[in-house]
Amino acid sequence: MRRAADAWAGAAAGLALMALWEASARFGLVSPQFLPGPSAVAAALARMIAEQALLWHAGVSTLRVWGAFALAAVMAVPLGIAMGSFRLIGAALEPVVDFIRYLPVPALVPLAIIWFGVGEQSKIFLLWLGVFFQLVLMVADDVRRVPREYHEIAATLGGSRLRALVDVALPAMGPTLVDSMRVTLGWCWTYLIIAEIVAADRGLGFVIWQARRFFKTPEVMAGVLLIGLIGLVTDQLLRRAHRRWFAYLRP
Amino acid sequence: MTWLRFEAVEKRFGAGADALTAVAPFSLDVAKGAFIAFLGPSGCGKTTLMRMVGGLETPSAGAITLEGAALGAPDRRRGMVFQSYSSFPWLTVEGNVLFGLRYRRDLSRAEKRARAARYLALVGLAAFADAYPGRISGGMRQRVAIARTLAAGSEILLMDEPFGALDAMLRESLQVELRRLQEAERRTVIFVTHDVDEAAFLADRVIVFTPRPARIAAEIDVAARLEGPRTLGLRDTPEFFALRREVHAHVRAASEDVAAGASADAAAVAPEEAPR
Repeated sequence: MRRAADAWAGAAAGLALMALWEASARFGLVSPQFLPGPSAVAAALARMIAEQALLWHAGVSTLRVWGAFALAAVMAVPLGIAMGSFRLIGAALEPVVDFIRYLPVPALVPLAIIWFGVGEQSKIFLLWLGVFFQLVLMVADDVRRVPREYHEIAATLGGSRLRALVDVALPAMGPTLVDSMRVTLGWCWTYLIIAEIVAADRGLGFVIWQARRFFKTPEVMAGVLLIGLIGLVTDQLLRRAHRRWFAYLRP
Repeated sequence: MTWLRFEAVEKRFGAGADALTAVAPFSLDVAKGAFIAFLGPSGCGKTTLMRMVGGLETPSAGAITLEGAALGAPDRRRGMVFQSYSSFPWLTVEGNVLFGLRYRRDLSRAEKRARAARYLALVGLAAFADAYPGRISGGMRQRVAIARTLAAGSEILLMDEPFGALDAMLRESLQVELRRLQEAERRTVIFVTHDVDEAAFLADRVIVFTPRPARIAAEIDVAARLEGPRTLGLRDTPEFFALRREVHAHVRAASEDVAAGASADAAAVAPEEAPR
């Protein structure tokens, strides 16, 4: 019941914002050159899907995001668990990770191109860079928040430290781990656009940047809107999965 | 007969001037199958002492021996029941009890299941085997933890205020149940609590601790005083009343001694620390 009400509230707020936006464009409050109304953006979106293979570009971008994210997660989860569980590993790696974490990804674009050229590799690298170092620290914190009692229960049942990590810490941190991943997956899209704007011949960032060169504001906004939609859908799917996987959290 | 033995066990945290003595040299002999209550104010070091039995802390001096051999790293012989986080929320009730047998290679899958079922029935949770801990009451969660430890085959149950978060009525019924389980299973129990009533009702021997560092202030042989089974009705008997008063008096005396000592210390240092 509450969930349905929440969904309605979200939809109503979204519609109200759209109406306001359309009205300001229709009544000439802002120049359509700068802020075309939602109807114009929707028309652009349809045109781009039909004529410019927009969905294919979206697919390319999504694959890049998921590929880079999967790579980052596969590396960050074990390393983060190690850093959070063994003090010496954490002490050794945390300063390095913290340093790299603060390097702005856009500043590393030239380096990425020097190292990996303008192909897929440099894009994956940039996305990985933006996510891996953040995620590692989040995972380390997640594992540190596992109650000490859980480790101690496993130990007093005859489980080794390593077994306790796999059998107890991993499931215990499951819900927060998936949340950390959901949040960092969203950041991936930010870095993707940077990577695609600088050097790409496909992908949503490329499409948006092309449209900007010809001052096609509706097309630019359609591209941005599509990214937002993909993000929204992914996020909702992950939230739903979270509720399913961790149903035991609900009383 | 001595089975579990504390030999001048000491525990200090930190070093130098900041060192904190949690447990003063502490010696005690515990017979197999005994129910021992560690009774003392919060933070007195009784939990630290119990954790040392579990191998979760190591003594700074002295030793704890079981059948003559010094106790080391944690193992299945000494099982823990905590006050909170006592069961795993991602496993069902049955899964939690089965977890107690997870590291036992000597049992087949079927044997493990049978054993888990037996202990689930023993603590009265057979009907809740498939429920998750988040959906059962706090008292049931503690019973899950007890069943897990019993099923694991732990010879010593280390219980750290396991009923501390429960309401009074539930607490009393769980105490009756725990005592019944212990009499049936004859496992050794070290039960840490700051509740006089609980210690007197449950234990064969109550060890009253001083405030930190933990020292024995008094020992009450409850088994010699209370005969017969420990039922709810026992609480209303004159014997239990007298016993509880006595334990209470010991607890009060222990804390007053220390308070008197502390104010004497304060008086001694006062001249130097007088406000300017």
